[in-house]
Amino acid sequence: MLHRAHPYTPLAVATGLLLLAFAFRSPGAVWAVVAVALLVAATSGVLGAVMRPAMLLALPTWALLTVLHGLLGGAPHVAVGPAVFSVAGAERALVLGGRLAAILLAFLTALATVSPARLVEAMTARGVSFGRVYLLVSTLTVVPRLRARVRQIVDAQQCRGLRIGGSPPARVRALGPLVVPLLLSALAEVDEQALALAVRGGGASGRRTALDPPADHLADRVVRWGVLALVVAAYAWKFAGASP
Amino acid sequence: MKPLVFLDGVAFSYPGAPEPALDGVSLTVEAGSVVGVSGPAGAGASTLLLVAGGFAPRLTGGTLTGKRVIATERVGIVFATPWTQLTGLASTVLGEVAFGPASLGRPREAVLGAARRAMRNLGVAHLSDRDPAALSGGELQRVVAAAVLAMEPELLVLDDPAAELDPAGADALYALLPEIAAGGAGVLVATPDSERLARVARWVVVLEGGRVAREGAPGAVLDDTDVARVARMTGCPAPLPLDVPAALARLAR
Amino acid sequence: MSGFSVCWESVRFAYDGVEALRGISLDVPAGASLAILGPNGAGKTSLTRLLIGLLRPQAGRVRVGDWDVAGRRPDEMATRVGYVFQHADQQLFERTVRRDAAFGLRCLGRRADGVDGALEELGLLRVADKHPYDLPPPLRKLCALAGVLAMEPGVLVLDEPTAGLDRAGRDRVIAALRRRGAAGVTSVVVSHDVAFVAETAERVVVMREGAVVADAPARALLSDAAALAPLGLEPPPAAALGLALGLKGRPIRVEECAAALGGARWRGA
Repeated sequence: MLHRAHPYTPLAVATGLLLLAFAFRSPGAVWAVVAVALLVAATSGVLGAVMRPAMLLALPTWALLTVLHGLLGGAPHVAVGPAVFSVAGAERALVLGGRLAAILLAFLTALATVSPARLVEAMTARGVSFGRVYLLVSTLTVVPRLRARVRQIVDAQQCRGLRIGGSPPARVRALGPLVVPLLLSALAEVDEQALALAVRGGGASGRRTALDPPADHLADRVVRWGVLALVVAAYAWKFAGASP
Repeated sequence: MKPLVFLDGVAFSYPGAPEPALDGVSLTVEAGSVVGVSGPAGAGASTLLLVAGGFAPRLTGGTLTGKRVIATERVGIVFATPWTQLTGLASTVLGEVAFGPASLGRPREAVLGAARRAMRNLGVAHLSDRDPAALSGGELQRVVAAAVLAMEPELLVLDDPAAELDPAGADALYALLPEIAAGGAGVLVATPDSERLARVARWVVVLEGGRVAREGAPGAVLDDTDVARVARMTGCPAPLPLDVPAALARLAR
Repeated sequence: MSGFSVCWESVRFAYDGVEALRGISLDVPAGASLAILGPNGAGKTSLTRLLIGLLRPQAGRVRVGDWDVAGRRPDEMATRVGYVFQHADQQLFERTVRRDAAFGLRCLGRRADGVDGALEELGLLRVADKHPYDLPPPLRKLCALAGVLAMEPGVLVLDEPTAGLDRAGRDRVIAALRRRGAAGVTSVVVSHDVAFVAETAERVVVMREGAVVADAPARALLSDAAALAPLGLEPPPAAALGLALGLKGRPIRVEECAAALGGARWRGA
């Protein structure tokens, strides 16, 4: 669904979900936002692609939150098996964990549904300067680009006899030959890429021609204004002191 | 013909480098001509291209001394490593090639027309809808060359532009250079491929250790093609023939 | 060091729905030198990646000596197969050329003795203490090759080893390959550079669209303009000169052509 939307829409939805997650303070409300994020990802057909990285990033933090707040939090306490949990701490952990989940899901979904080329065209059509366009888009695409490069480096170093995997000390030793060329080649290429972009007019001060600006449908504008309205309402409710 | 690039006694050092990359180099590139640069790896050919195109020290840092006049701002440069020349901002080859002309703010139809023309000239029109990130090295090199040509530069600078290409592709690309010059542009190309360079360059500068070791017509200064080696090994006097037709012409039968 | 035989048995390989290799069978005896020619997309690189286990075939078997590649990881195959990528300088990471060229040996748990020999062979001894990224790209490419040569593999697999090199570098790669061939190391080289193939290979295989369309001794094929033309190839310059002059022995290498030309008389220019 989001794939065909104007590129600004998924970004607006992601930002909206993030702001909503911070507007609420109770675990129930925060996790309702997470549910909405899951729904958005599912209806855009990217739930599978998004869940794995989201879980990989979230689980360690959730574990940490459970220990910090759940076990070390204040009264009242409740015994669960051999451990003693703080109820207030557990609630806090749920809220923070939920916010993290909402942010991860929202932005991973946005990344999966926004094509860099369409975003460039959309921003160019709106007259955004190339410098800002490049900054945003290259930040958004840095992960897939690095991932492709990591794949190449892993292949190359394996062919030189480096064992990937194996015992934990072996894995740690393997990090150097994998990470250093990643950084070195990325840095060296940044220079060349900047030069090439400058040559192709990336630094030109005039207005770029938009070649194929994505259409901004009524549905897109309705969704973006709707998200804005929801966020404003949620924060008004919060500052009125009555929100969950 | 007016010189597009005029270098006189130019020396250049990269930032933090102990020795200069170029020392006492003089070079002229006129509109309508193809000038070649040859020399071993590390001799300074790539640096000379950056200096002649006005990209060093402006974008590379470093210090430049001597006289340099570049008479145009419309300079295009094609580097030897095509994958670092993708913008990463286009989802199709057409979009990638059109990126340069689009930067100039020209109308949409003119931009697309220039892009399609350049793609046809480089034989990559059939790749128009493909994802640039999925191309092979050879296809990529031709797409990047098309992307630079689409901007219709007055000075075209190329660093080993056919390194990734198969022989037919390399022949076609080098054959394009005199055509581009005939259209009024000046072309400066560096390559270790002396055989192809000799076919297209009117004048060749040979660098060694950052200095000009010799310069002149290709036949007078290049001597490292396979045919030239055969000739030298069988006692042919200088200048050595660089290709088969030249060798046949020199053999007394 | 002596070589291993290399064998592809009815190998099929596809990726992203594209059939890259359609039932290839090739048998390369130990110590032989094979070159693979063909246009982009013919499947040449996929074929070589199967040898070191970076890719796994959907059907068929790949053997290196008595090893079935299917049961081995790439780092295990690296004890027998020295694979040099076309764009190898992404793998360089050590502080000096010498340390980086010794990396493979360290991974294999062997002493770094042979490194200087390999560096000298490729003309890199004078820059052995420099950081690889301070070298121009052609020398970085040679640095990657030096690292593989130092490992003394029984099979050398090189993907476009001369692309981007200058003449001197190319000469050194030719000499290094010939030296290994004389010592019985098997080599499989993918290259567009027909003259380089003539100087180093005894057997040439031409691929197109995932299939082998020609498999012949180098001397016979590379001096046969009529056979090369439908394959989109031309004889290398030394062979072309030999053909134009009707030289005996169908030379395809520079030295052979000069020898066959013998006491030719050259006019002044």
